[in-house]
Amino acid sequence: MSKDVIGSVMVVGGGIAGMQSALDLADSGYYVHLVEKSPSIGGAMSQLDKTFPTNDCAM
Amino acid sequence: MSEKEPKILSFLCNWCSYGAADLAGVSRMEYPSNIRVIRIPCTGRMSPKFILAGLRQGADAVWVSG
Amino acid sequence: MHTLSEVTEVSGTAGNFNVTLHEDARYIDINKCTGCGDCAAACPVSLPSLFEQGLGERKATYRPYAQAVPGAYSITKKDRSPCTNACPDHVNAHAYVALVAQKKYPEALEVIKRTLPLPGVIGRVCPHPCEDACRRQEVDAPVSICTLKRFVADQVDIENSPIPEITPRQEKVAVIGAGPAGLTAAYFLAIDGFQVTIFEALPVGGGMLRVGIPDYRLPPAVLEKEIRAIQRLGVKIQYDTALGRDITVDSLMADGFESVYLAVGAHASMKLNIPGEDTEGVITGVRFLRESALYERKQASGHVVIVGGGDVAIDAARSATRMGADNVTILYRRTRAEMPARNEEIEDAIEEGIHIDFLMAPQEVVAENGKVSGLKCLRMELGQPDESGRRRPVPIEGSEFVVACDMIIPAIGQRVNPAFLEGTSGIELTKWNTIVTDTISCETSRSGVFAGGDAQSGPWIAIGAVAAGRRAAESIRRYIDKEDLKQGRDPIEPPQKNFNPIPEKIEPQFREQMARIPVAERVSGFTEVEKGFTEEQALTEAGKCLNCMVCCECFECVKACGADALTLATHMDKPHSTELNVGAIILAPGFAPYDPSGLDFYGFDTLPNVVTSMQYERMLSASGPFGGHLVRPSDHQEPKKIGWIQCVGSRDQNKCNNSYCSSVCCMYAIKEAVISKEHAGEDLECAIFFMDMRTPGKEFERFYETAKGKHGIRFERSRIHTIEQTDDGNQLTVRYFTEDGRLVDEIFDIMVLSIGLETPPDLVDLARRLDIDLTPGNFARTDIFNPVATSKDGIFVCGAFQGPKDIPQSVIDASAAASAAGELLATARNTMTKTKEIIPETNIVGERPRIGVFVCKCGSNIAGVVDVPSVREYAESLPYVDYAADNMYTCSQDTQDMMTQIIKEQHLNRVVVAACTPKTHEPLFQETLVNAGLNKYLFEMTNIRNQDSWVHKNNPELATEKAKDLIRMAVAKVALMEPLVETELSINQTAMVLGGGIAGMTAAQSLAVQGYETHLIERNDYLGGQAVNLFHTSQGDKVQEKLADVIRTVEANDNIKIHLNTELTHVDGFVGNFVSTLASGGQSEELEHGIAVLATGATPYIPTEYAYGQAPNILTSLELDQKLIADDPMLKTMNAAAFIQCVGSREPDRPYCSRVCCTHSIENALELKKRNPDMNVYILYRDIRTYGEKEYLYKAAREQGVIFIRYSLNNKPVVSATGGAITLKVTDHVLGLPVELSVDMVTLATAIIPYADEKLANFFKVPMNEDGFFIEKHAKLGPSEFATDGAFLCGMAHYPKPIDESIAQAKAASSRAVTLLSQKTIFSSGTIAQVDPMKCAACGVCVSICPYSAPSFAAEGRFAGKAEINPVLCKGCGLCVASCRSGAIHLKGFDTDQIFSQIFELDAAV
Repeated sequence: MSKDVIGSVMVVGGGIAGMQSALDLADSGYYVHLVEKSPSIGGAMSQLDKTFPTNDCAM
Repeated sequence: MSEKEPKILSFLCNWCSYGAADLAGVSRMEYPSNIRVIRIPCTGRMSPKFILAGLRQGADAVWVSG
Repeated sequence: MHTLSEVTEVSGTAGNFNVTLHEDARYIDINKCTGCGDCAAACPVSLPSLFEQGLGERKATYRPYAQAVPGAYSITKKDRSPCTNACPDHVNAHAYVALVAQKKYPEALEVIKRTLPLPGVIGRVCPHPCEDACRRQEVDAPVSICTLKRFVADQVDIENSPIPEITPRQEKVAVIGAGPAGLTAAYFLAIDGFQVTIFEALPVGGGMLRVGIPDYRLPPAVLEKEIRAIQRLGVKIQYDTALGRDITVDSLMADGFESVYLAVGAHASMKLNIPGEDTEGVITGVRFLRESALYERKQASGHVVIVGGGDVAIDAARSATRMGADNVTILYRRTRAEMPARNEEIEDAIEEGIHIDFLMAPQEVVAENGKVSGLKCLRMELGQPDESGRRRPVPIEGSEFVVACDMIIPAIGQRVNPAFLEGTSGIELTKWNTIVTDTISCETSRSGVFAGGDAQSGPWIAIGAVAAGRRAAESIRRYIDKEDLKQGRDPIEPPQKNFNPIPEKIEPQFREQMARIPVAERVSGFTEVEKGFTEEQALTEAGKCLNCMVCCECFECVKACGADALTLATHMDKPHSTELNVGAIILAPGFAPYDPSGLDFYGFDTLPNVVTSMQYERMLSASGPFGGHLVRPSDHQEPKKIGWIQCVGSRDQNKCNNSYCSSVCCMYAIKEAVISKEHAGEDLECAIFFMDMRTPGKEFERFYETAKGKHGIRFERSRIHTIEQTDDGNQLTVRYFTEDGRLVDEIFDIMVLSIGLETPPDLVDLARRLDIDLTPGNFARTDIFNPVATSKDGIFVCGAFQGPKDIPQSVIDASAAASAAGELLATARNTMTKTKEIIPETNIVGERPRIGVFVCKCGSNIAGVVDVPSVREYAESLPYVDYAADNMYTCSQDTQDMMTQIIKEQHLNRVVVAACTPKTHEPLFQETLVNAGLNKYLFEMTNIRNQDSWVHKNNPELATEKAKDLIRMAVAKVALMEPLVETELSINQTAMVLGGGIAGMTAAQSLAVQGYETHLIERNDYLGGQAVNLFHTSQGDKVQEKLADVIRTVEANDNIKIHLNTELTHVDGFVGNFVSTLASGGQSEELEHGIAVLATGATPYIPTEYAYGQAPNILTSLELDQKLIADDPMLKTMNAAAFIQCVGSREPDRPYCSRVCCTHSIENALELKKRNPDMNVYILYRDIRTYGEKEYLYKAAREQGVIFIRYSLNNKPVVSATGGAITLKVTDHVLGLPVELSVDMVTLATAIIPYADEKLANFFKVPMNEDGFFIEKHAKLGPSEFATDGAFLCGMAHYPKPIDESIAQAKAASSRAVTLLSQKTIFSSGTIAQVDPMKCAACGVCVSICPYSAPSFAAEGRFAGKAEINPVLCKGCGLCVASCRSGAIHLKGFDTDQIFSQIFELDAAV
């Protein structure tokens, strides 16, 4: 564990998991770097039509 | 339908139908232009009075979607 | 946010990491791009969309999908297209081919003219190195790039094409020679503004193009037209003026020319060096062609013999034929294979009756009467290859003979005639008389004098001379501007590796051929032979381009972008590195869908109607490639029958090495089947082919049962043999083995491969770079008690990289990882975040409305349809409108600044923006209001793009009318808007956690470590919950040891107050301000807390079936665990043991799967085998549900001889216990016969049942499902919290789950709670409901219907008993407003009068 603790977090991946982590941390007082390899976030979930089992729209 | 185009007033829920109407645009779909949209926060906001007022104002149909 | 970025390097330790990111260029300014899409509309390059799984197309400039965040577009660029790269002049062939395919011919010409001013000429004569490099030949043949260039030139009148803007300069430049090099240099110098004069020795322009290439290949009119187009730029041409004869470099300098460009060409011929070469009737090829071109020589007669094998030889021969020669022979000393002339030229020549004699070398000209009568030749044969790689011809001794002829044309090569240097000094020549120049700057040995073209390079192709001329023009400009001639011009070799992949399903096509005039017509004159492409041919050829570089750099997008986000400069963006300093790292990189290519028995590669489940998702999607209309990909007909094949790329070690279960495929297949039926109607048949149906999640089993029952989806337990196409290509024959071993053929329209999840190779590399351990399935290795921590401190993991999992579990893990990072960095919280400056709000109360209306053009997106100026004028005429404007892009930063300014200057107090959609842009404009000192609720946005211009694009007038109506309605509403207050509420910083099991303790520990005082309430007298009964985890950890550690840590934490033997008896208050009453041993105390975590767990089902209780060795799972913990000696001595699964689960009255039992029983079965390998162990099951990497246990159990016998719900096993013996009767699923097993012990895998604590549910106003589990806020996106603000959920109170998932959810609940606690105060929204207590009848409807418990009866004060609404809990839905019979409730921002005002403005509308 380093002595100089930095109050920021890097989240790798802008899918549903990465976005949720980033939001939680940003809302908790940390600076978040969200790193995504494609031009936009959203990940695989944005490609899905509906979600199981509620058949809610995934978008 | 050429002689009379119905006038439609629609109340769209901000969270679903209004977004769907946006998506219709994004997808470059086309539909007749004789519809006017009022955005409401939720169809829970709908009151029968709005429907009556719409009809009284000359709308031929009122569409509530949410 | 760092998009297009990847982590390349990480150093440092937990709490302080240094990270290097590699960020790819976007080529579009992300801060300026408004996402309008004009660039994509202009882009000529289409390619398969990855987002649409290859089923749809996208442009090279694109946004993956409409709702993408960020909304900015980006451009895909790979290595420079080989065609462009191969061209000496780098003419952008890719771009003009792409533009031809779009019928954008003037644009294509513009692209060509960027580097080449002679498109029609080069399009006819170029030997096209571009085509030699074209990758299309890997499919069939190269694209006819050169002919397409000619096609463009033929379509567009270059003489009337637009002239670039030129700033004239005074400096004069002399160009010597009007050939391709000279003309090109002059053209680019003229664009730079110089006064250019070309001095040409001949009476005509074009150099070798004019006098070296016969008219039938290049009609003079084409060349002359292009020369005139150059002269339009102010270039002067002085003909009949030869350097060395009429002028010298010195005389030009003396005349005030600042610089001279020497492009004199190579117009002298090589000699044969044989006797008699000067005889009359011997004429060099160069001279013959020149005289013919200048009409000085109009006829030829008799037998003409040409010596040589190059283009000049062929040109001379074909010209001689046309000039009337009786017969024409070409003599060449090697064979056809070695001929340097273009193959198509040779064929043309033969077609035109020209005879070619190979392996002949001239020896001597034979003369008669001083005139040629014949040529003495020697026969040759091919010897060893020479330095050029061609086999050297060797004379055959004694083979001399004479060819009788009337004319001999030696055409064996050209050279530079050094006569031009007469009277000029200081210019060095090589031994071949070519001019010596610097390779980069083209400067000769004399300063200010440059040279290029054939005179410098020796005879070469025209496009090489064009390239040289363009390079020289740049040098001359630099010379005159006194800049460094070479800086930044070093030749670079662009990489040629990474290209757009060639599509797999591509059909080879024939190469289009130009129409030609008939041979008879050809040989009778100099009419052009090739007629060029028809438009249809051109479009076909252009359509074959593979778009190697993807973006072709035609820059049409630059022209289209009105927001200045896409410029020539942004097109030159480079990838770059970024350094970050962070305290922790969370890996959420996701998965790659398994690629079924190569599994030939499924035919995915070849059969269009075999699709992956990801493709099928897109096919179902309303925004997908088929617009949500469910059709067969092969012929777009509606399917009648669709099948799913499960476990493609999962649970399979033979074909894909993924032996884990992907955990999600059963669910999505059922979902897709159900939705397919919704799309196509009840007649659609759906069948799912599976091994085990695994629906172990919350509400999943119920959905499965509904799919089977209500929706009639067929579930076929089977193995697929092959999929083949029917003869018409539109249906599929599926051959499979049924459960009872029969081989069946069945016809389907579409087969969906339920592909698994896997970790892509680049992620494995990333893991290696980060030095974190992976599991056998290549997922990040984690520990059951630390489910989101990787093997490296400070690096956490969540989502599918931790193991294949569904969305709710990913979201739980994501919050858990955030919590783990928060626990690590708690001391540095709020050190890196920024706070916003608060701008004082102007008081507008009592002012009359002064409304500003801003109408957006959105580039052409709105203005292209709606008449924006007239809409703006109309807005100005509306009541209370003081100001109206239209803006190109209202959302751009400069417009925002301008709006702020205008609001202040014009003292506006209400604003309407008519633009795109408030869903995306309302917050942005509200911020602008705040910046201008206005309350953000004095705003209304109306949608004239998504819901107007985009959907009525063919009806501009009606769209304009609609825009006016919408603005009138918005103006009417905004006039009634009032400033709204966002109520501030403080959050009590204490937390309460209910339940002292693993989940509760973990949540408490997480909250306490992050600095919050936490009260842990447990009704028993011990901590540990159900975990105290467990023996092993699925990874083999001893639960009791680990549990003791957890309890010790919790007990040692000063921030945690443990309340054992304590019940919750009452809860008051709401988020941030709860007051709970705790009762313990007859005493009560009140606890004030800001949040509550419900982790009350679940309890094992006590069975009444299977003779439980009738014999001591009929146990529940937990009882067996107790025996294992106690190391009961009987476990070693038994001969046979059986497990019965689904005891109390998946039954009609308890229709859910308890999730953990399959894994638990298999674990214990393995443990029994370990203790006594000879024991017979049976597991009686319905479906084995070892999801994720738990599948390995199932595999191990089978390998170790555990016997699995499947039973069905309607044919359950029967257990009988008589005396000490236990007998099991069950029907074997393989044999289909009843078997009887004698066992020493039966373990019943009993259900996990919830406490279904109504009282607790009422305390926090949280709902429970039919089974008695608490219902979370959202099944996918809010799995660890309640709809009630401030209440959170974790552990088995949510649903049965193993320890790791309980721990993850506990951390997630803590994370969600911390996001609230760390705010210290929260603000309500302004658009909330408010009760007018004077009108309230206290009927209570609002109190009962509000889903958020916001209304309540006031307990005290003047209006005690009347309803009041807690502003913090109100979500502003308006349900109470609509339900209030007295009209006592108002919804601010959407109040009744405001909505009425919109309705009342309708009458002029619709």
